[in-house]
Amino acid sequence: MGDMIYMAWRYLVYNRIKTAILILSIALIAFLPIGLNVLVSQSSESLTVRAMSTPLVIGEKGSPLELTLNSLYFESNTPPEISYSQVQRVNETNLANAIPLYNRFRSKEFPIVGTSIDYLDFRNLKLAQGRKMALLGECILGGAVAESLGLSVGDSIISTPESAFDLAGIYPLKMQIVGVLEYSGTPDDRAIFTDLKTTWIISGLAHGHQDLAKPEAATHVREKENGNIIANASVVNYNEITDENRDSFHFHGDPSTFPITAVIALPHDTKSGTLLQGKYLADTERMQIIRPSQVVDDLLETILTIQQYILAGAALTGGSTIMTAILVFVLSLRLRHSEIETMHRIGVPNHRVIALLGTEIAVVLISGIVLAAILTLLLARYGNFLIHNLLF
Amino acid sequence: MKKALMKKTVRQLSPLVFIAILFLAGCSENKNASTHKQTPEIYTVNYPLAFFAEQIAGDQANVVFPEMEGDPAFWQPSAEQVANFQNADLILLNGASYAKWLAKVSLPESRLLDTSATFSERFIRIEDATSHSHGPGGEHTHGETAFTTWLDLTQAVQQAAAINTKLDLSNSGFDKLKNDLLKLDKEWESEFAKLSGQPLLGSHPVYQYLTRRYELNLKSVHWEPDVAPDQDMWNELKTLLSRHPAKIMLWEGEPLPETKAVLEKMGIQSIVFDPCGNRPAEGNFLSTMKQNLSNLKSRP
Repeated sequence: MGDMIYMAWRYLVYNRIKTAILILSIALIAFLPIGLNVLVSQSSESLTVRAMSTPLVIGEKGSPLELTLNSLYFESNTPPEISYSQVQRVNETNLANAIPLYNRFRSKEFPIVGTSIDYLDFRNLKLAQGRKMALLGECILGGAVAESLGLSVGDSIISTPESAFDLAGIYPLKMQIVGVLEYSGTPDDRAIFTDLKTTWIISGLAHGHQDLAKPEAATHVREKENGNIIANASVVNYNEITDENRDSFHFHGDPSTFPITAVIALPHDTKSGTLLQGKYLADTERMQIIRPSQVVDDLLETILTIQQYILAGAALTGGSTIMTAILVFVLSLRLRHSEIETMHRIGVPNHRVIALLGTEIAVVLISGIVLAAILTLLLARYGNFLIHNLLF
Repeated sequence: MKKALMKKTVRQLSPLVFIAILFLAGCSENKNASTHKQTPEIYTVNYPLAFFAEQIAGDQANVVFPEMEGDPAFWQPSAEQVANFQNADLILLNGASYAKWLAKVSLPESRLLDTSATFSERFIRIEDATSHSHGPGGEHTHGETAFTTWLDLTQAVQQAAAINTKLDLSNSGFDKLKNDLLKLDKEWESEFAKLSGQPLLGSHPVYQYLTRRYELNLKSVHWEPDVAPDQDMWNELKTLLSRHPAKIMLWEGEPLPETKAVLEKMGIQSIVFDPCGNRPAEGNFLSTMKQNLSNLKSRP
């Protein structure tokens, strides 16, 4: 048997280009449907696990998919803003704990997610270095953000202005990095987390500046009237929160009216979750409460339908490739007619010739399948990375 | 010969096998054992809440009121101190905009308890705060809500009740605490009734709820017990006295002897009425409140 394998191997190595094309064709025929299946399964799992671990999300009525993608995966357009009072509304029901999310701003391509530190516990996010954000202006980075930007604890990161032409708009805020999260294989890896109040500072609802009541700020005061100090345009807002100026930061207005994009509701039990959903059913209700798992199931149904079409196409392509491979083997036999004759003349029995040709075909087939298996394993290993970089 | 050829063949195939094995090896999951605290840890933003929690929970909880220099309402914690609060099982807030630092830190909202939420509609708004205008936000004020809520002892009972409800302990010390506070409330009511209508002064604007609960005629200046008032402050007091002829001034702490002497010359008696926002050097919240009553009774 060993001599058969050796002879077959030498023949295939001698005709390496033909062999390589055959192996690659067979590998691709096997890999295409299996790989697609792996990719779809992984993306389904990735989406489903995240959705299943997020019981309920509340946002303004509109697209449930947009709300889910923005709140769970930090992608898609920013959903309509709702007020912080929606967090208090959930907490006051005593049916669930509410976690606010304000996902509107970015630093370069990475989302800045304003939330409470409850979010880190909820997602079971662990720190690779540093600590959780504690003071205004502090943030922590997802593992991929830190790696991509080459940042670590002690560095700072600046929020990106929404529009370069909006000179009177939102100021960029320099945030201090106090922690970096371990990789979790989730969208959290590609996010920057900060306290909700810090994102309100980015949005201009809070700011810090020189104390206008102090004599040294006199040049910034336009007039004083009945205890009201009116400043002139020379007052400069701080664009970095430091230990020295942190105390000067203050909020304008009632925080319960300040914006967020969604509320993650964590019901105490199944019954509480159902009761909470019931509170958002009125026709006059301006909020929607969604179960992300249902939204993702609907999305996956669409993906699976598309997958069926792709698999049907792959089956047709595969069939024609197999026919071509058979043709190649048959034509090869004709071309090797004189070689086979020589083998017969030197006394090689017919069954040994058939065994030799069979071994060659088997080696090509097995090599193709092994290559397909390796490609599938590679996809299984790096599928999530591909999904995230190709889809999002 | 055959053996050598076989070895060569295997050697040529081995990289493929190695790659396959390499990718079959999975990453082991790091499962951290979750730590579980035996006794719940309760952090508070001021001493009265710590006292209430201690009385209610006894040894069933570890109540922590961090050491704070000066008035806890204006404490400025470090990141490490905030981290300690973040790790607590429950954080008791006074509400009524008490503890300005809360607006500038990240705390777990699910573990916060606003003990004065039940009477938030009755908060007293301080209207004389300075406001200013600049930028697109227009006119705004950094005005305050009066926050020494516990000096109305019936409100103190409500704050303690909120803690008791949250802790939901089978062996709670709430009833005794409530009785003690309500008993003291009656004694205060009786003593303050003797000052009904009489103009009084507060050395600092911390007596708003006391004034409302016990129907006092009290106006405050912005003086500190350990700082000698300057001439402007004395002038301000004289102006105030011209329309509010008070004979008693309530102080948060023992005033400087020279300040006390000048006030006595003006016919104003100084009485220490400690709000006890911070942990007292001696005794506890209840004994300090009883001492306040004694100080009141000892007036000529």
